[in-house]
Amino acid sequence: MVRIIASMISAVLLSVLCLSKTEAKARYTAPLNYNSILFRQDTDDTSKKKLDTIILADRRSQVKGIMDSLNARLSALNPHVSVQQMLKGKIAGLYVQETSGEPGSEQSMIIRGLSAPVFSKNDIYRLQPMVYLNGIPMIQENAYVFDIQKYDYNRIGPATNLLSSIDISNINSIEVIKDPAALAKLGPNAANGAIWITTKAAKSGYRDLSVNTYFGMVQASNIQTVNAQYENIFRKPFYQKYASQSDYLNYVGYLRDSTNLDYYGPAKWSDLYAKNHAIYSADLGLTGGSEKANFRFFGSATQNAGNSDDTKLNRYAASFQINMAPFSWVTVSSMVNASRLDRDRNRNLRDRFAETRYIPDLYNPISPSKTAYQSLLNEYDKAIDDNRTTMVQGYLSLKFDLKPVNFISTFNFDYNEGVRDVFYPTTLMAGNNYVSNYFGYNQRFMINNAVNYTKHFNRDHQIYFEAGQSIQDDLHKYGYANAYNGPNDFIKINVVEGDKKKDKYLIPVGYLVYRYNDKIHNRLFSVYGSAKYSYKDLFTFSALVRDDGSSSSQPGSRWFIAPAFSASWSLKNQFLKANNWVDKLNMDASWSRIGKLFSDDRFAAGPQYRSNSGWALEPTIPGYNGIATISRPYSSGWVGYDIKSPYTDQLNVGFDGSFFKNRLGASVTYYIKDDKRMLLNSPISAETGFASQFSTGLAVRNTGIDLGIQGHILTGRDFGWTSGLGFNFNKNTLKSLPNGLNELIIGDRKLKVGEAIDRFWIYENQGIYNADAEVPINPATNQRLTFEGTTLKAGDPRWKDINGDFTINSDDKVLKGNSMPKLTGSWSNEFRYGNFKLNVDIIYAVGQKALNQSAALQYDFINREAANDINSVREVFSWQVNADVSKYPTYNPWSSVVPYRLEQDLFLENASYAKLRTVSLGYDLSKTALFKNKTAIKRAYLYVTGNNLLTVTSFSGSDPELIEYNGLYTGYGLSIPKTYTLGIKVDL
Amino acid sequence: MRSIFKINIRFNKGLLILLVAISGLHFSCKKMLDIESSRLSNEDTHWSSLQDTRSGLMASYSLMRSAMAENNAHWLWGELRNGDFTASSRSDLKVIINQNLKASFPLVQKLTSWRAFYAVINSASLFIERAAEVRATDIRYTEPNFRADLAQARALRAFAYFYMVRIWGDVPLITASHDGTFEDKPKTDQSKVLAYAETELITAAKDLPYVYGAEGDEILPGSYYGYGVDRWRGALFTKISAYAVLAHIAAWQSHYIDVSVYTDFIMTNYAKANIAYSTTSQLTASDGIFNGQSYSQVISFGFNDVYGESTANGHIEQLVLASPLISKQTPDLYVSKDSIASVFTDLNDQRFGLDTISGLPRTNYFVNFTGEIPVFSKIKVLRGGSTNGNFAIYSSNILFTRLEELVLLRAEALAVLGQRQDAITLLNTIKKNRGVKTINDGTGKDLISEIFAERRRELMGEGWRWYDLIRYHKIQNNNPAFMNLIQQKGIYWPIAKEVLNANSKLEQNNYWR
Repeated sequence: MVRIIASMISAVLLSVLCLSKTEAKARYTAPLNYNSILFRQDTDDTSKKKLDTIILADRRSQVKGIMDSLNARLSALNPHVSVQQMLKGKIAGLYVQETSGEPGSEQSMIIRGLSAPVFSKNDIYRLQPMVYLNGIPMIQENAYVFDIQKYDYNRIGPATNLLSSIDISNINSIEVIKDPAALAKLGPNAANGAIWITTKAAKSGYRDLSVNTYFGMVQASNIQTVNAQYENIFRKPFYQKYASQSDYLNYVGYLRDSTNLDYYGPAKWSDLYAKNHAIYSADLGLTGGSEKANFRFFGSATQNAGNSDDTKLNRYAASFQINMAPFSWVTVSSMVNASRLDRDRNRNLRDRFAETRYIPDLYNPISPSKTAYQSLLNEYDKAIDDNRTTMVQGYLSLKFDLKPVNFISTFNFDYNEGVRDVFYPTTLMAGNNYVSNYFGYNQRFMINNAVNYTKHFNRDHQIYFEAGQSIQDDLHKYGYANAYNGPNDFIKINVVEGDKKKDKYLIPVGYLVYRYNDKIHNRLFSVYGSAKYSYKDLFTFSALVRDDGSSSSQPGSRWFIAPAFSASWSLKNQFLKANNWVDKLNMDASWSRIGKLFSDDRFAAGPQYRSNSGWALEPTIPGYNGIATISRPYSSGWVGYDIKSPYTDQLNVGFDGSFFKNRLGASVTYYIKDDKRMLLNSPISAETGFASQFSTGLAVRNTGIDLGIQGHILTGRDFGWTSGLGFNFNKNTLKSLPNGLNELIIGDRKLKVGEAIDRFWIYENQGIYNADAEVPINPATNQRLTFEGTTLKAGDPRWKDINGDFTINSDDKVLKGNSMPKLTGSWSNEFRYGNFKLNVDIIYAVGQKALNQSAALQYDFINREAANDINSVREVFSWQVNADVSKYPTYNPWSSVVPYRLEQDLFLENASYAKLRTVSLGYDLSKTALFKNKTAIKRAYLYVTGNNLLTVTSFSGSDPELIEYNGLYTGYGLSIPKTYTLGIKVDL
Repeated sequence: MRSIFKINIRFNKGLLILLVAISGLHFSCKKMLDIESSRLSNEDTHWSSLQDTRSGLMASYSLMRSAMAENNAHWLWGELRNGDFTASSRSDLKVIINQNLKASFPLVQKLTSWRAFYAVINSASLFIERAAEVRATDIRYTEPNFRADLAQARALRAFAYFYMVRIWGDVPLITASHDGTFEDKPKTDQSKVLAYAETELITAAKDLPYVYGAEGDEILPGSYYGYGVDRWRGALFTKISAYAVLAHIAAWQSHYIDVSVYTDFIMTNYAKANIAYSTTSQLTASDGIFNGQSYSQVISFGFNDVYGESTANGHIEQLVLASPLISKQTPDLYVSKDSIASVFTDLNDQRFGLDTISGLPRTNYFVNFTGEIPVFSKIKVLRGGSTNGNFAIYSSNILFTRLEELVLLRAEALAVLGQRQDAITLLNTIKKNRGVKTINDGTGKDLISEIFAERRRELMGEGWRWYDLIRYHKIQNNNPAFMNLIQQKGIYWPIAKEVLNANSKLEQNNYWR
């Protein structure tokens, strides 16, 4: 804590020192305004309420798209814990990937399509939009931890979704900002889009008390378990058809003995694995005070749970706001939020081995028997797996209203720290125990200053200027130690010598310890100026220019100047003033260029030297002969000079209007999003020694349409029906590759200019060769078709020889399918009958495909079991009916062409889905006779909600949402549970 | 309209002031954006002090270690093709043993990439080009130290080329770092590559000491980078190491006269480097020559547990150890009982034979001989030489060569050159050390076969078998199938597709096309 305070003070001092000049100079500049940083109001309209002392809430809204804002009132009826869950499917153009139902695990959001290809998990971090909480850009995790990881399934540390810290009951509105000019005002932070969350605000008046609570349960999913007999029968045809005598001799041990009850007995593991769990939440909000000084307090406690593997998330959150107006021209506003997240994680073996980087012998997998699984769980009781994330964020804001000039200064801070303590006893780790401790934090300080000036010339013309400047300081840091093979299972911590006088002071006693530290420090300095001109109520035009300097860019190209323009034209007022059925009709156009930031500091340095002692499977060898090594970054990739900032050019053209006395609202936006000059870690000739080089010049275009229609279809006194339909159609295209290349192969992906970047690169499977004679013969050489030189035989797949050269190799792979959906959206309905309300939400995503790795591994059992690597791990949940056996041909699993290789369209499946996500029925008690006379109660709303009730899909895996970022279905995502809650909301 | 015009003028003034203000801000906050990264060292600061040469040189060694260790490549290249090991169930190992190297297993793809060796070459070249900068700026960087460093970098680079030639034959010869201005190069004939390596090694050998960190050493007196002799034992290239590589380069090209010259130097001078023969127990103990540091490790790349360098991957143990030594049930690779019986013919052989008193098989090289699958346990350095098999991480060094290997190489050269008696003396030295009956010369005695049979026994699991087979068949010239493989260049490995894709001037090796 001392460190936090110290660094806060130093940051303040630093910025003040740096600012003193700024302010002095700013006095002579054209006064502009920062405070109209775009703020879009929720449909739950608070803008009609009296404006109060709060600074942040007086940003006026200008909602453009109908589907750009989340209805917070309806969302609060769901037990969602993360921002991603709240927004999933609800906003046209925002695609949420919830790849696991494990509560509090990391989730991804993509606004308007992928702007860069995703090869590994850390690529997805770079594509995330910025989330603003009352104007604070919330700092997220940095992908740098993957540098020391062998496997990227989970990041080290608690790996908790930092956006699951905000309680929906404290949220007034969530806007997804997609307008290019609005994003330009937010700057490089918002280059991937922005999500603007506004909490409920402090306001004056007699004290307001609101209490919300719900209680409910997640339902265990119905698992069709199997035992070894099923596996035995599954393998039988392969052995009958292809096995040699020695293959029979090598038949896996755990399937050999059919009298072994562990494997061949009843498979009741699911009783312990999949369970119903309780979830609950209670919160309290208190608002009150005078016009001169008012406050808001909010506190909540929430428990969320998954339905598998005893996963759980506990959250405690508190928020406090104070606004003061000591003089009529000065307003002071402040907020402090604190939250704590405790997470019970899954107990997958894979995730455990990946964390420990140690794979024991996997010859005998975990058995499907309940007793065997129970004894494993008993060992887990001796383990420690604590994951705690603590967060504090807040702001202090000053506003001076010196009409017609306003000056606003804001200090934001955001700090979060994650702690993970792990101990696995010897019984879980093949006779070897394991301890790891992680402490990492991310902190951001930011100072914004802005002035604005409004000038009316006459009734028709108005000009508004603003200028602003901000400094942002980001620090990511962690310390991590893992330790193996301690003396016994009673000492669960890494003990070090505590005697200062001894030579071995602080040297570990007992365990074999490895330690890692890393730190990334970035700063961003921005200035901008903008002007807006409006003519009557017909036309507005605004322009902005900004200059951003980032410490993570190379010194020569540190500053990036970018303009933005937008225009809005009221067609209604221009042409249709007399028209009765058009209430509003606007046309907007907006264009901006925004520089993008590097999250890694390596690019600023240019050619560099790094520690590089290990290799892919052993990334963390400390040195050679005990001496640190520093070399060119051969394995991570060459970084040269002339790396310029990537940027994004975005164009929007949209119409929105409302018709028939506002009973029908519609908005349509066409966009082009060009992400240019991006870096790609691309191949370089191996003779340089480098595995790859970072070259600039990757460009990706996303085009699409966001559409929203909302209609009040029935508006009777007793019965009403409102329906909203939103969707986004998006298409991405690779526009260029570095060095003018036309195509590039990176790992098992191929990028081709003109094609989409999320395509799978796979062989086309056309069946099976039943006999050697069926394999085609090359008339030129009289040799049979080969797979990369190995002659195909009976039992091998009939892969399509695209180029007809009688050799199947990567030249015969084709780009097929997309991992991202083409169409996403939702259909929401609200029915009202008397005091009852019924909400029904359906979300859908169409056009995406997935490679079923789970099935590929099941069929490739020969290679999988022999490899004894991370893919060989067999989890307890693999003892269930998985793949559709009839779908796949019976190939020779011993064949050296690896017939069940993943990269073929045999495993490519359509992962489109539609889900009945929410059904909620509520009853407004306050309107009943019971409460009618009790004026103290303003509102009392009782409701029941069911979530994730129904999925319509043709996907063969358990759930088409549980697909990894790269389009692979691994079977590892925990099921997204059906939940049922009963809740009440009371406002006093 | 007029009012708007006026405003424009005023606005322009404002804009001017704004621009001035912005440029002022840039100036005042420019420093703020200079953040020194703690994760890397950049060109401005690197190559200025002793630490930079030390860490740079060690990096070249560690890159060489990675090139050999990644995917356990040293053994997969050296031991499997046509070798003594059998794969229990892994198909990717089976195809290598059967020399079906076109097979498309990920492992085979990785083994056919030479990228890691060029990382050694690039880093050594860069060191050779830049170390002089440190010599100019840091007075602690003495001339002998500088020269010894350059010599090591040269020797490592030459060693990397030799290693690559054994695997791929012709490889592109690149002798400068081309730092940042890379261009694609075609393959160079292997004789040119080896000639270059030979010249480099001869140059390097002059400046290489016998021992690092020794007080009063002729070539490199005093501590080396602040450490004494104990720290550097077996870790770095010595003069003997350079001659060992020279001898092997000559042997690979069948220049046996050169081999005898180079090995003669080794035999005369090995004592100066404190090198000694290893006893059978030193050879096979878990804390023997494969663990930690020893002068007798003539060329060795260490994974010293003392320094936290033990790993799970990168050791032959990962492939061959199993129960009862570790908890793994079946080893990935094993030497079948039939092979063991045919290789170890002398019952008194300490490495493997039958104990004359108890009648039980000796367990130095193999344990679980009575079981279905014997476990090759010659090298079994569990974490720092312990015997705790619960935690299967290993500290064994990649021991490229040791005195016994060089003695047998010399014996081979002498035998080829017709100096049979000297060859037999050397061979018998090794045999005696292992408790095996010595041999005498006689008419019709196939001395070459005797020497290679001894190499097979002595060096089993040290990554020599495949190259020994090549030399053996070249000398004997009596196996048409193998000679055909040599002539067709099938003894080399194919080049990985990604390597070919990235450099248009390369072509796949003919045999594997």
